[in-house]
Amino acid sequence: MPEFVSRISVVCFAASYLVALACEASRLVFRSGVRGAVMVAFASAGLFAHTLFLLCRAVDTPAVPLSSAYDWYLLAAWVLAGGYLWLTASNPKTPFGLFMLPIVLGLIGAAQLSSRDPFPQSPATQIWGTIHGSFNLAASVAVAIGAIAALMWLIQAGRLARKQAPAQGFRMPSLEKLSLTARRAGAIAAWTASAGFISGLVLNAVNLRRGLLETVPWNDPVVLRMGALVAWLVAAAIVSRSVARRPDGARTTAWLSLVSFAVLTCSILWGVLGPTRHGVPPVAPAAAASESAAAGEAAP
Amino acid sequence: MTIAFVGGTHRTVPLPLRERLAFSGEQAAEALRRFRDRFPGRECVLLSTCNRVEFYAAGESDAAPPAREQLVSFLAECRGIDASLLGPVLSGESDEAVVRHLFSVASGLDSMVLGEPQIVAQVKQAWALAQESETAGPLTAGLFQAALRTAKRVASETALGRERLSIPSVAVADFARGVFERFDDKRVLVLGAGKMAHETLRYLREAGARDIVVLNRTAERADRLAERLGGRPGTFAELAAELAAADLIVSTTGASEPVVTLEMFGAAERRREGRPLVVLDLAMPRDFDPRIGSRPGVWLYSIDDLGAACEANRKSRQREMPAALAIIDEETRRFMGDLHHRSTAPVIEQLRAGWTETGEAEIERLFKRLPGLDEAARAEIRQSFERYAAKMLHPPLTSLRNESHSGPPHGLLDALKRLFDLKE
Repeated sequence: MPEFVSRISVVCFAASYLVALACEASRLVFRSGVRGAVMVAFASAGLFAHTLFLLCRAVDTPAVPLSSAYDWYLLAAWVLAGGYLWLTASNPKTPFGLFMLPIVLGLIGAAQLSSRDPFPQSPATQIWGTIHGSFNLAASVAVAIGAIAALMWLIQAGRLARKQAPAQGFRMPSLEKLSLTARRAGAIAAWTASAGFISGLVLNAVNLRRGLLETVPWNDPVVLRMGALVAWLVAAAIVSRSVARRPDGARTTAWLSLVSFAVLTCSILWGVLGPTRHGVPPVAPAAAASESAAAGEAAP
Repeated sequence: MTIAFVGGTHRTVPLPLRERLAFSGEQAAEALRRFRDRFPGRECVLLSTCNRVEFYAAGESDAAPPAREQLVSFLAECRGIDASLLGPVLSGESDEAVVRHLFSVASGLDSMVLGEPQIVAQVKQAWALAQESETAGPLTAGLFQAALRTAKRVASETALGRERLSIPSVAVADFARGVFERFDDKRVLVLGAGKMAHETLRYLREAGARDIVVLNRTAERADRLAERLGGRPGTFAELAAELAAADLIVSTTGASEPVVTLEMFGAAERRREGRPLVVLDLAMPRDFDPRIGSRPGVWLYSIDDLGAACEANRKSRQREMPAALAIIDEETRRFMGDLHHRSTAPVIEQLRAGWTETGEAEIERLFKRLPGLDEAARAEIRQSFERYAAKMLHPPLTSLRNESHSGPPHGLLDALKRLFDLKE
């Protein structure tokens, strides 16, 4: 890797996205002929730096590339940032950045609070770990996209109900498109989150049976929160599908998508801040013994 | 260099006189040719639209454009109108006022509908006709190119022409398009034969609508309407079924009572399977019970709702006026600066020629005194002289250019002429 690549930091691309977000916000205040170009330039520069940063991490990590919580959050942010750039280039009049970039920055923030250590791996369970992480990543991105479409739907529906012409610089896609996007994103989120959860269970079961690595207890907070999230996403997708042919079905789907995003956010915060054995490296026998002794002494 | 103009618009010329004064394409070409023959060496462009007839003339100082009275008489003669009728209603301007006026016209600031975009194409056509008729020249070229550039800036840097102002265009672009992504898979139902139905359908067709059903009280009238609007005819007997099948309804009947009641809609609603419905109720009195608008999935807009949105757009355009005027001011100053600078060209030419001539003479004298110089050395000496002349001329020429921005630099030109003994 060239030397300049190793000097790229999270601040580089986060700052670029922040400038692009400021440009998006300025749409609401004034018109400008060059803003679109500036916005795309900063977002492109950010995405380029983001890509190089992830490549650098992938090359430098001794374990499977991008296998820490830190990397997964950055990867989810990268997917959304790429989506933002594509949408902005193809629909320059729609302020997608106002909705997408805060989530991108939020994911980057979550990455900063997360562990950079790779998840413990063994050759036997590596594939299950990758499947588990990939599906969870896809589910997170799908939930975020569904929530963005839902929020835009509610804003657009509010404008149409108030019988107002679109505000300057704030032209939303049609309700038809937004509703379809939210519904599809919800369905994809339910499928991928389920697959991610099941693959996680398989991974844990294999570890448990073979005694390969530190297993996650079945009542670990991460298992419970992921289970709750999957249950919610599946229920939301079923409800959304069942109300699709009702006059207020699109509104119901929009609210369900927003609640899904709230549940996901709580889940991420819980994961980042709460206690868990998920992703913790195996404890050496000697250390485990001393830990047990210490625990015994501390107990009344 | 002088630019002159006479013209009248919907604000100054009464409609009957404006109709007589208007030029068709052929008549305009003929008028331009006549002007070219009568006033050789002058440039002219004729802009004739529904709302304005304006004649722009320009010429260098040795071939100044005709005076206002001559231009009025010329227009009157071309259209066979008594010049005394036109004199009081046509305004005349010269130089900077003309530039500012044309820039405002091209940007849509002087249009009947503020910011309307068609005027740009009309200005382009007028300029193209002048080129074809060989009455365009460097002055009008600069003027009209600057006008089109200004119009482009106003369009891109302000929202003057963005918001729509007609009820059908607002109904389709701001509301129906807000609900539906595409119209080629939507059923459009037209109720009645109101004037606005035709215009609204034009916008819907442009948006891709193909499946159009036209219902009327009488089958014959529905047939005629459907043929005119490019749809399938039907009668009001089919209304209940069509209400269930439609995605977008344009209603313009002349009925004195609501054509679609809440009860009638309720019956159709059950068969709609939750599909959203946009209703553009353009009738007065209204064709749809207003309570239908509060049903989920129904987006009902009356003519008052759409009129209010149009009015808001109109006010929004008005708010853009200061920004548009600032652009026009800036472009006018720039154009006038360039124009004034152009007027200094003969003096600059003479100044350059004088320096070059003196330099050449000195070089020749030097080469005679130094016969042993080879070609490379001679070329180097020539280049040095040229660079020296360019550097010496740079400060006075820059001062001249800077002075041109605030008006014709007569003082500096006189000083240069006297200092360097330049002839007129």
